[in-house]
Amino acid sequence: MGSVKMEGQVQVEWRWIIAIYLFLAGVGGGAFLTGVLADIYGGPDWTTVSKIGVFLGMPCVLIGCLFLLLDLGSPINAWRVWMKPKTSWMARGTIIIVLFMIFATIQTAFWVWPFSGSIENARNIVAILGAVFAFLTIIYTGLLLGYNQPIALWRTALLPVLFLVSAVSTGVMAIVFIGQFLEVAETQLALLANIDAMILVFEMFVLVVFLYNAYRTIESRFSAKRILGGAVAPAFWLGVVACGLLIPFFLELFVGEGAAAGLAAVLGLFGGLCLRYTILAGGALDPITAAGFEFARADRRKESMPAMGKVPPS
Amino acid sequence: MARYGMVIDLKRCYGCYSCVMGCKQANRTPPGVFWARVLRGEMGVYPNSVRQALPVLCNQCEEPDCMKVCPTGATYQDDDGIVRVDKDKCIGCKYCMMACPYGARYSVREYTSYFPEGLPISDYEKHCMQVWEEKSGCGVATKCDFCIDRRAEGREPACVQVCPAKARVFGDLDDPESEISYLIKTKRGFVLRPEVGTEPKVYYLPPR
Repeated sequence: MGSVKMEGQVQVEWRWIIAIYLFLAGVGGGAFLTGVLADIYGGPDWTTVSKIGVFLGMPCVLIGCLFLLLDLGSPINAWRVWMKPKTSWMARGTIIIVLFMIFATIQTAFWVWPFSGSIENARNIVAILGAVFAFLTIIYTGLLLGYNQPIALWRTALLPVLFLVSAVSTGVMAIVFIGQFLEVAETQLALLANIDAMILVFEMFVLVVFLYNAYRTIESRFSAKRILGGAVAPAFWLGVVACGLLIPFFLELFVGEGAAAGLAAVLGLFGGLCLRYTILAGGALDPITAAGFEFARADRRKESMPAMGKVPPS
Repeated sequence: MARYGMVIDLKRCYGCYSCVMGCKQANRTPPGVFWARVLRGEMGVYPNSVRQALPVLCNQCEEPDCMKVCPTGATYQDDDGIVRVDKDKCIGCKYCMMACPYGARYSVREYTSYFPEGLPISDYEKHCMQVWEEKSGCGVATKCDFCIDRRAEGREPACVQVCPAKARVFGDLDDPESEISYLIKTKRGFVLRPEVGTEPKVYYLPPR
């Protein structure tokens, strides 16, 4: 089907607001995961790093939830999402993020004065529970988007992986950025930056596989073209590739300390936001085929002038 | 219990958009909302090309994806298989709008006028706005319900009645003697996007 002109209806329902939520949930979950890992494997030396990560978890996700509320068409009914957990990933996801926020709050409290140091075991148990829900908070959004049957770009098992890698990377970057202003040992920040550089390599790999897969799948080729050379391309090449991956990678690898690491973290965080936006805005619905014809669904905003799909004679 | 469905004969449809207008008039949908739509497709390369119109509407699926993704249970199926939205339960997350394989769901933030800004809103528009608020609502997902009010009066859905080519037939799929069962059986009726497994109840007859 070499000469097929693929035009899809671009999804316009979920844009920047949802991208900001996905980004903040990723940062919060990733920072919490990193904080817990630093506490468990780093020991007392890493207390400040661990605190930054754990303290970031709840507020980030909470602010993200406010953006979710902002996007709702009928927010007065929002409480109903907790009533039917069996129905969909969105219902399950809201339960996951609420549980995460509860565990993150308890974990934060353990680090604050009256409780600190007194109950080590309880803190570790809550940390592990919180880490599990941080993980779920990060990946459920990928599953939620992937459940959309008509959008082939999202209908892949790579999406949760991509979100997970990006979330951990942006979480580490947030810790490095805040660590600049607090009393964190320079060596620890340098080590975190180095770890992040490795995660970025993995993220690049996942992103390349994701886009290659999207391009090779005939249904999602239109979406892939939108990302690589269409309307979403600036956000992708400048935001994701340059700001989010390449510049932070080289800064972290070759400089890795001081203001350079801070700059890398800021750019990387911006790149994480752009990645979420790219994925959301790149999503286009597959064309409908019937009786050998291919019917591109017109953009809803230009409904009166439907786009046309062309199919060579079979 | 009846299991309502529709047959659209693509050989008869010539793409006049009457169903689009009939639906808009009957359901008073605001700008940007198209419960009934017509898509255009083209096959082949000029001069050996054919064009085809494809009217689409909510397929009232047996296994609706929109219902599966609804986090609040606002989307439900009637006894007669019509997929409907309870506007008091819908939170307006727009998940269903993306999950629907046929793009049949629409949502508007507010009821806007068809006329340019600044013109006074007419009495009829006020009435339409009221009807929309009562039946569908703003900010929530809305969709075709095979003209439930018209059916209650014993009339056919608006798109069926206005079709000048009689390309649309509405009826009961459970009744083996009904016209649509006959057409689906004898004229090779097919559904759109069978691969997603939603078991639609809107059938199409091949254009050739």
